[in-house]
Amino acid sequence: MSGRAPDAGIAEAGNSGPGSSGQGIPAKASAAEGISVEAVTKKFGALTVLNGISLSIRPGLATAVLGPSGSGKSTLVRCINWLEHIQDGRITVGGTAITARGPLNGGRPMGARDIAKFRTRIGLVFQSFNLFPHLTVLGNLIEAPVGVLGRRRADAVVQAMDLLERVNLAEKANDYPARLSGGQQQRVAIARALMMDPPFMLFDEPTSALDPELTGEVLKVIGGLAIRGRTSVIVTHEIGFAREVADWVIVMDGGRVIEEGPPAAVLDNPTTERARAFLGRLHRI
Amino acid sequence: MWLSMWRVLTDYSGILLRGLGVTIELSIISMALALVVGMVACLASLSHLRVLRYPATLYVEFCRDTPILVQLIWVHFAWPGLFGVKFTAWDSAVVALALQSSGYLAEEFRAGIESIDKGQVEASQSLGMTWLRLMRRIVVPQAVIRMMPGILNQFVTCLKSTSIVSIIAVPDLMYQAGLIASATFQPMQVYTVIALVYFLLVLIISFAVRQASKRLPRFGSFGAMS
Repeated sequence: MSGRAPDAGIAEAGNSGPGSSGQGIPAKASAAEGISVEAVTKKFGALTVLNGISLSIRPGLATAVLGPSGSGKSTLVRCINWLEHIQDGRITVGGTAITARGPLNGGRPMGARDIAKFRTRIGLVFQSFNLFPHLTVLGNLIEAPVGVLGRRRADAVVQAMDLLERVNLAEKANDYPARLSGGQQQRVAIARALMMDPPFMLFDEPTSALDPELTGEVLKVIGGLAIRGRTSVIVTHEIGFAREVADWVIVMDGGRVIEEGPPAAVLDNPTTERARAFLGRLHRI
Repeated sequence: MWLSMWRVLTDYSGILLRGLGVTIELSIISMALALVVGMVACLASLSHLRVLRYPATLYVEFCRDTPILVQLIWVHFAWPGLFGVKFTAWDSAVVALALQSSGYLAEEFRAGIESIDKGQVEASQSLGMTWLRLMRRIVVPQAVIRMMPGILNQFVTCLKSTSIVSIIAVPDLMYQAGLIASATFQPMQVYTVIALVYFLLVLIISFAVRQASKRLPRFGSFGAMS
């Protein structure tokens, strides 16, 4: 049960329009790439957050990551684009390997410039939105495409307005983020990430900071627009959303994967006791 | 007595205005220089590279922990011997004032930058910005708006500090006052007038600053914590 009806294909293609070829960054993956995590360990001081975790994120599909708080899901996502540094193991994102030495380029740790370039291929949506408050909505969207990818401003504006249209915020283009509701801010943040046309999208509890009545509009944008044609990882507590949108569900606890599989199997018939206990709590909420 | 003060003001208005012009010009130029140097020193002191951080921190401390009078005389009379640079009185005044202000501004900048939410940096990084770009485009602009009151306070301090440059014969307001006082033998009247002129000048600037800061973009609270 893939919740993604192909008919609703609100022209993802428009997204990868003429201007988006970047600066010869090779992978505008036509064939989607996956992510693999092998025996990764991450500690904060004495606290082990990722405990030799291994998993694989399938190319072009949406993977939902569930688990109790403190299970390491957010950290996992943040390790994928090297916002958090791992201490052991290996993460492969598309063609790029990350080890404790950082993202590698031909076996050697990347310099700051290459790391920045590597990150342009991975969209990240934060729990707390993190919009740039001193820029308008439009300014937030075009900042990186123009400044980082070197695209023409006019092209970026066209693409931005198109995206804002699709997240129903075109009329807010010239407002500052502080004037938007949380749900609107998060939709802008998603659009901002999509401006880079990244082959990978990561969502770190994108609706956890929102009032319940605002989560729907954000989840709709994620499911309907943001994950299409991309390899995506969604850390979430929204079980209904995971069931509907995800192609694969991973349940984490204690810095490891305790259960994974297709949504129906994992969410309805978890095999492990711990997953059953956790999901039972979620269902009850 | 009030009449004689008024006389001082009217009879010597040309000289006083010239002095005032020098005072203002000196404050603006040295402040502009201090803004640039202070920002460089601040960024260097925040760098993770020790070769940048240590000298920058030392520089900032030195600027803040030496009196402006000592700096002025040191620059004017010691730099020729120390560094082989010979400044005019004007240039020495600019350098000394910029030295002093840049130290305080660097601290002001650092506090402002550190007050910016870490999420701003992470969002910028995840959009592929390098450290320099995210500082320039995202963090510093927000910090500057937040630091505006502090920067303007420093400008007022700098303006008041200019009054000591007369000791190396820079013809500022205070210097002209000295000339008038010795020409008229009316130090009481002259220096009272001068005190009032400084007072009014700073009062006007402070008022303008307060008005202007009401117009600064206000972001309000934002993000998840709002």
